[in-house]
Amino acid sequence: MLKVNVKWQKEVFSNMEVDTTQPPYVFKCQLFDLTGVPPERQKIMVKGGLLKDDSDWSKVGIKEGQKLMMMGTADEIVKAPEKGPIFSEDMPEEEQAVAVGHSAGLVNLGNTCYMNSTLQCLHSVPELKSALIQYPPPVRSNAVDQSSHSLTVATRELFSELDKNVRPVAPVRFLTALRSKYPQFAQLHNGIYMQQDAEECWTQLLFTLSLALRSSSSSEDADALKKFFGIEIVSRIHCAESGEESTETESVYSLKCHISQEVNHLHEGLKRALKSELEKSSPSLGRTAVYTKDSRINDLPRYLTIQFVRFFWKRETNQKAKILRKVDYPLSLDVYDLCSDDLRKRLELPRRLLRDEEGKKAGLKTNESSSTKDSDVKMTDAEGSSNASGDSSVSAPGEGAPPEKEKHLTGIYDLVAVLTHKGRSADSGHYVAWVKQENGKWIQFDDDNPIPQREEDITRLSGGGDWHMAYICMYKARDIAM
Amino acid sequence: MAPAEPNSSGGATQGQPPVKAPVNDPKKKDDKKDEDLSEEDLALKQQLELYVERAQDTDPGLQKVALESMRQEIRTATSSMTSVPKPLKFLRPHYGTLQAHYEKMSDSDLKKLLADILSVLALTMSPEGERESLKYRLLGSDGDIGSWGHEYVRNLAGEISQEYSKRQIEEAPIHDLMDLVVQIVAFHMKHNAEPEAVDLLMEVEDLDLLVEHVDSANYKRTCLYLTSSAKYLPGPDDMLVLDIAHSIYMKFEEYPRALQIALYLDNFQYVGELFQRCNDPFKRQQFCFILARHGVAFELSESIISDDVERNALQDIINNTRLSGGYLTLARDIEVMEPKSPEDIYKAHLIEGRGSGGGTVDSARQNLAATFVNAFVNAGFGQDKLMTVPAEASSGGSSSSWLFKNKEHGKSSAAASLGMIMLWDIDSGLAQLDKYFHSADTHVISGALLGVGIVNCNVQSDCDPALALLAEYVEKEDASIKIGAIMGLGLAYAGSQNEQIRSILMPLLLDGRSSVDVIAFAAIALGLVYVGSCNEDVAQNIVLALMERSEAELGDPLARFLPLGLGLLFLGKQESVEATAEVSKTFNEKIRKHCDMTLLSCAYAGTGNVLKVQHFLGQCAQHLEKGESYQGPAVLGIAMVSMAEELGLEMAIRSLEHLLQYGEQNIRRAVPLALGLLCISNPKVNVMDTLSRLSHDTDSEVAMAAMISLGLIGAGTNNARIAGMLRNLSSYYYKDASLLFCVRIAQGLVHLGKGLLTLSPYHSERSLLSPTALAGLVVILHACLDMKAIILGKYHYVLYFLVLAMQPRMLLTVDENLKPLSVPVRVGQAVDVVGQAGRPKTITGFQTHSTPVLLAAGDRAELATEKYIPLSPILEGFVILKENPDYKEES
Repeated sequence: MLKVNVKWQKEVFSNMEVDTTQPPYVFKCQLFDLTGVPPERQKIMVKGGLLKDDSDWSKVGIKEGQKLMMMGTADEIVKAPEKGPIFSEDMPEEEQAVAVGHSAGLVNLGNTCYMNSTLQCLHSVPELKSALIQYPPPVRSNAVDQSSHSLTVATRELFSELDKNVRPVAPVRFLTALRSKYPQFAQLHNGIYMQQDAEECWTQLLFTLSLALRSSSSSEDADALKKFFGIEIVSRIHCAESGEESTETESVYSLKCHISQEVNHLHEGLKRALKSELEKSSPSLGRTAVYTKDSRINDLPRYLTIQFVRFFWKRETNQKAKILRKVDYPLSLDVYDLCSDDLRKRLELPRRLLRDEEGKKAGLKTNESSSTKDSDVKMTDAEGSSNASGDSSVSAPGEGAPPEKEKHLTGIYDLVAVLTHKGRSADSGHYVAWVKQENGKWIQFDDDNPIPQREEDITRLSGGGDWHMAYICMYKARDIAM
Repeated sequence: MAPAEPNSSGGATQGQPPVKAPVNDPKKKDDKKDEDLSEEDLALKQQLELYVERAQDTDPGLQKVALESMRQEIRTATSSMTSVPKPLKFLRPHYGTLQAHYEKMSDSDLKKLLADILSVLALTMSPEGERESLKYRLLGSDGDIGSWGHEYVRNLAGEISQEYSKRQIEEAPIHDLMDLVVQIVAFHMKHNAEPEAVDLLMEVEDLDLLVEHVDSANYKRTCLYLTSSAKYLPGPDDMLVLDIAHSIYMKFEEYPRALQIALYLDNFQYVGELFQRCNDPFKRQQFCFILARHGVAFELSESIISDDVERNALQDIINNTRLSGGYLTLARDIEVMEPKSPEDIYKAHLIEGRGSGGGTVDSARQNLAATFVNAFVNAGFGQDKLMTVPAEASSGGSSSSWLFKNKEHGKSSAAASLGMIMLWDIDSGLAQLDKYFHSADTHVISGALLGVGIVNCNVQSDCDPALALLAEYVEKEDASIKIGAIMGLGLAYAGSQNEQIRSILMPLLLDGRSSVDVIAFAAIALGLVYVGSCNEDVAQNIVLALMERSEAELGDPLARFLPLGLGLLFLGKQESVEATAEVSKTFNEKIRKHCDMTLLSCAYAGTGNVLKVQHFLGQCAQHLEKGESYQGPAVLGIAMVSMAEELGLEMAIRSLEHLLQYGEQNIRRAVPLALGLLCISNPKVNVMDTLSRLSHDTDSEVAMAAMISLGLIGAGTNNARIAGMLRNLSSYYYKDASLLFCVRIAQGLVHLGKGLLTLSPYHSERSLLSPTALAGLVVILHACLDMKAIILGKYHYVLYFLVLAMQPRMLLTVDENLKPLSVPVRVGQAVDVVGQAGRPKTITGFQTHSTPVLLAAGDRAELATEKYIPLSPILEGFVILKENPDYKEES
């Protein structure tokens, strides 16, 4: 009989008797009584060796009063969970894109940042994406020429590529289609493709798409793009001399913001642009006379595009020179006072409702439970940022299964995309798109490099220096379900 | 003002008319000058001129009186520091006269007397390089040397060293010089001029003389000068100097300092003697604490300490069993026991607007980073928020759930991280790791094995649990389990030179079936176990392994560990590496140079050898075309060699800056790592800025290395500036998983042990270099040379080699029963007091704290109370305090 000390975790069992005639298993059973660790889980260490169940005590070389160490717990053995976590590294790229929280960048194919930034801005319009998905219609009309068709298809393909990828996408096919449709974008200078005006690209692209999609849409909703982007303007043309007056309506895809000495804010610029003077021949006077044209918005789109008229043709330098003046723009824009009386009337009710909803949200949080859940849910829908893609499928095509409560415009718009320009003329410098993602984060798409940005920084792109300044702003309507 | 005649014409030109010219010539000039002199001076001048004339008199009596008066005048003359004493000045014109007269004199006491005077006059008159002062001194009366003043002695010492080297070349006898040396040394040592005495003795290569002349008043200053000058001496002089210092310390029973030198010399015979010489049990305990900090395995044999109980108690201290307890005491005192999660470190809320999107999906890379951050931050605390959360917290235990949030080999690192959290606490650590041993997943088992090694790192237990548990797994088939066990053994027995480990690991090296990664880790493990041992047997086996492997296998990124393992065997052993380095020249061309650089850099690590630094710089100046890899180790070599002392370190930082500008890409990638090693756990602002700049480098490998190095230089400091930089980098690189991983690791390192740990291999006032700690760092740095294949590949667990260098940066004072004792201490920036007279302040800008306290790099502590006497002059780590018997409570 030997006596040994056994150390187990922080405990020491001193003077344990070892019967050296019995196999060590017996000793382990002794320890089992003390510690509750089953013998097969016990590891007993004797001076750099392990005590085996069947080893011979004499060979172990144990001495009276020796210190042994036991390792082992009665803990549950670690088991892998049945369903392991899925790692983003293992995911297919589409899912990774969702996890990353923004879509991919676009590779610059040689002075194509004007195009990349335009595409990134338009890509943020889910309604446009879903409209494109339905293109081409099963029955293709002849209204669309081949090059417009291929441009539209290229756009569709590119947008879905962007959604699927994490890595930058090279818009080669789109560029080819664009250049074949609009050869001016294929202008060469010293053998390289020239930088182009992003606004031109924007306008032309939208024009083509609207043509193509008009034909594709079913007859009752003639122009899908018009619904998304079209602004109906009613103008009263008045001649002070003759007292003649006429009204005309026109539909445009963007509002212009004129920049002059007095303009410090977007709103002022817009107002100024809606008032203009023109000379035309007066039928009553029989000569040209000065007419004032006073325009008002008569119908609002879901997406309000505003172009800052920063470039003007400078004859001396033979290029589009840039006005660097700082013009502030807000994150949310109210165009109510630019609207015609008719439209104002239509906006009255939705605006009141919206105010109520927002008031409820801001001030009456405590009463949340009392207010109907239904309206709460709808309200977040109306906010638009959280699940724009979700409701887009319902609202975009318009005609499909009308929602129970129809969405109404309120005249209040939230900034969703900014296309900026850096440099001194439209055909040089660098274009970049700043786009608000569905999760509310802002991403600066500098060609193939998406960079996260803070919302505060977005409004700092208002010009007044050589930093990027807003050229085109896109606002999304804050609508309300009624 | 001395006469305006040029120095050379006065004494040297023998052709001048001996009598007339010197007498008349100055007189003409002096006529004008005389007006400027005060009456007193004029009288003195005339008096001296009279003496000079009389000295040439034929009457010996008159001569004698004249000479003695002259001597009297010279000796009693006082003057300010800046001007020549007046008698010397007035005698200047007569130097030639007297010289000529001396030649004519017949041998007599008078002639000797004149020689003495000439020797003094030569102080100002002797032309450069003639050493006339010495010449006349040797011819003179051999009287008390100090009576002529300090300046004379100093001048003489200078001439002796010149004369000595001349005679060495001519192989002329030197005994007459040595007599003089003895006199001068005795004089210097008596007059607080120890540095001069030491310098002279070093010049004449006879330091042994010093021992007789030191006394209790000056031995401290003498030894301080000796030890600090040793760093700048070429071998083997430095060893000699330290040996002398050691014997002086032993003579005056300054044992802790003697131990410090013994450890520097790596001389365990001295250590043994120390224990035998010193009978104070408390002092012995203190020695054990110093040994434990150094991280060497020292076995107290019965011949050293006969009493079993005391020996076991002391061995326990050497085995570092108190480290965990002391560290936790510190942690409780500073109130940082609360576990921290990786999110507490990332502080994403401080990053403006740019947090990485999503976050709902687990990323294996990011989880792995979190595993490491969690391990580093909570190292040694025994609790954390991921791995040690109680099992009942959620079904199946959340510790296992975190484990399985890691992918494949990531699970190894996760399981091993538990070892890091339980660091130094063998008992609880093994209990916690036990559950993983029964897992079915090979990666988990591998991690558990590694974890056992980590827990046992720097701590020994007499039951040798690491060996018992890991030995059998080395034989397993699965490579990951094998590697886990091998690395575990390497960590647990680093520096122990354990024979059993060798017999387990060596067969692996030559086993043709082992894959490259297995033999690579085996080589490293053996290198660690036999670090700095120059073990022939191990060296030979690694060399054989290197020779046997095919060129393709040697191209494996991990193959770099083989030469490194070899190098570690010779860590800091300088010339001992030469034989092996010679063999390495026969290696495959692909790795020959790489091997050569690695061996050299290891062998001269921590020596400050300037020639080696130049050699490495020379290698880096070449522009490679064949894509060879040897410049990386060469750049690291610069850092390893020059990290020895501050001056060389600063110079190396500057040289590295040049390499950064002119070097090729493979050099630029190594530079940040070299900077990281130079300033490890010592965030110098200039280096921080350089690394910050490099962390935005266009070459992603440079950027990654820079970020890891930011972590290294800030390791365990909680440095707010680095933390801020890394936070910004984390948002800058948020979408590049590899770069972000490096940022995370660096963040973990900066908060290593919540700021209580250091990675610096230097300790004891930066005088001692712990070989195991340096070895651990070097392994990491070499692994970082190929970041993509190793750390970002599946061998990320090499990061755990850092555990070798992890030590609490604390001062913990204990009483004689080794219970923590809180006393006030002053902590401030250390001041270099080498060669300063009197008792200068050793710290500056200090604050008073009560122990335990944290010490930053370059900090020094001193007791702020007279109540206790520390048993070690170096207040670092564990220090035993003894009550001061003379202390009287005030009021």
